[in-house]
Amino acid sequence: MDFLNQISLLLKKDLLLELRRRESLLLMFFFGTLLLFVFHFSFDLVPERVAEMAPGLLWLAFLFTGTLGLAQLFEGERGNHCLDALLLSPMDRGALFLAKTGFNFILMVLVEIVVIPLFWILFNLSSWDVVPYLFVITLLGTIGFCVLGTLLSAVTLKARARELLLPLVLFPLMIPVILATIRCMEAILRAGELGDAVPWLRLLVGFDVIFLTTGVLIFDRVIEG
Amino acid sequence: MGEISNRPNKRKGYLGAAALIIVLAGLYWGLLRAPPDAYQGEVQRIMYLHIPSILTAYLSFFLVFVGSCLYLWKREKRDDILAYSAAEIGVLFTALTIIEGSIWGRSTWGVWWTWDARLTLTAILLLIFAGYLMLRSLTEEDNRGASSAAVLGIIGFLDIPLIHMSVYWWRTLHQPPSILRPDKAPWDNVHPAMLTALAINFVAFVLLYFYLLSLRFRLGELREEIKARWLNGEN
Amino acid sequence: MGAWEFVFLAYGIVWCAILIYWLTLKRRLRRAEVELAQLRTSEESQSNAQT
Repeated sequence: MDFLNQISLLLKKDLLLELRRRESLLLMFFFGTLLLFVFHFSFDLVPERVAEMAPGLLWLAFLFTGTLGLAQLFEGERGNHCLDALLLSPMDRGALFLAKTGFNFILMVLVEIVVIPLFWILFNLSSWDVVPYLFVITLLGTIGFCVLGTLLSAVTLKARARELLLPLVLFPLMIPVILATIRCMEAILRAGELGDAVPWLRLLVGFDVIFLTTGVLIFDRVIEG
Repeated sequence: MGEISNRPNKRKGYLGAAALIIVLAGLYWGLLRAPPDAYQGEVQRIMYLHIPSILTAYLSFFLVFVGSCLYLWKREKRDDILAYSAAEIGVLFTALTIIEGSIWGRSTWGVWWTWDARLTLTAILLLIFAGYLMLRSLTEEDNRGASSAAVLGIIGFLDIPLIHMSVYWWRTLHQPPSILRPDKAPWDNVHPAMLTALAINFVAFVLLYFYLLSLRFRLGELREEIKARWLNGEN
Repeated sequence: MGAWEFVFLAYGIVWCAILIYWLTLKRRLRRAEVELAQLRTSEESQSNAQT
């Protein structure tokens, strides 16, 4: 029980800070929307091709938006030796990891709640019924992104050129999530159900589980250096 | 602060000599003794490089993983040196694998690059290795760099099977029916001399790998001692 | 390019690259050993001077 309390405590702290300053969230909103616009101009999206390219473009938008959020993830702890203070307290490191992951996850979900319907509107996609399914897949993919992203955000904390290094190490490792979510979304947009894409869903869930567990176990090594 | 003895150098010398001999044997067998492939012709000889290369690249990453785990567990500098030495040599062999694959592809399919599973996976492996080394060199404190890199090494290793699965599925489940299936090299009649050539070259690469690794490891040890002495000198 | 030319290209690049890497390793090792020897002798002479 104590473990969960710690998580919720840390999570509430971050959310409260974010609510007051609203830096990351607004930035992510605008950036995600901006990317959709840029994509529409960059790719000549005739109606026939939209269904093909839509999942990929959507995920690209989330990937870049999420990376923006990740760079900010430990920003609050950087100054004033806050991180050291946090570590001196008897907080479970795994709880810290889950709290940070959860925080980033919530931010991204808030962005996705806005961006996905926007995407559906701007790109004139098919029926509205598929959107909930798309959303579920997006959630699973976002979990994978937040888990790996939080781990690597902490790992690159003391590195120079961190804003460039983080995507560099993160993106290759994200490939299973990218492929799996896009394949699932494609299947849903095409046929309204997963069908052949079920193995991809299993891969996605497996990825989330493996790295959530790894993160909880290994986070104290990451953060204490 | 133990001083590094010079005796291991002799053992390395023997390893190097053994590697050289087997490498030459491999060249002889691969280029002269083994017959050309029935379908691919002489170009198939590149496989005597390509297959051992990719295997040593994966061996490398496994050693990065082992070194990383040991380092995070016991915090002994030795394991960190093992990890980044394996990573550096891993980059070399992975890059060579890509070049060999590309040349083979050019001669077989006429293109220098395709997004087939093998080449793509090797390229991803190279990116992960490179990310590991960059993280290590860009991190401010040395101990922090070692821990961070170790975590990345472990995450990367755990991710590789998942990346494998996803890339293979991507390439096989959704490929439109085509005459050319680049993943499958038609090796119907495998002449025994070809197997021998492959085996010899494989042993050659592994020996060579460990020889280079031992040199790189020693370099790491020397640098650690130099650093330690500089730090002591400042006190 | 003929078949053998591709083979020689591949073999050539690979073994040249390995050779070059081996030579650079040797050079880095030599430099490190020299530096270490210098540090050791200067340390010895320091401790000798102190006694």
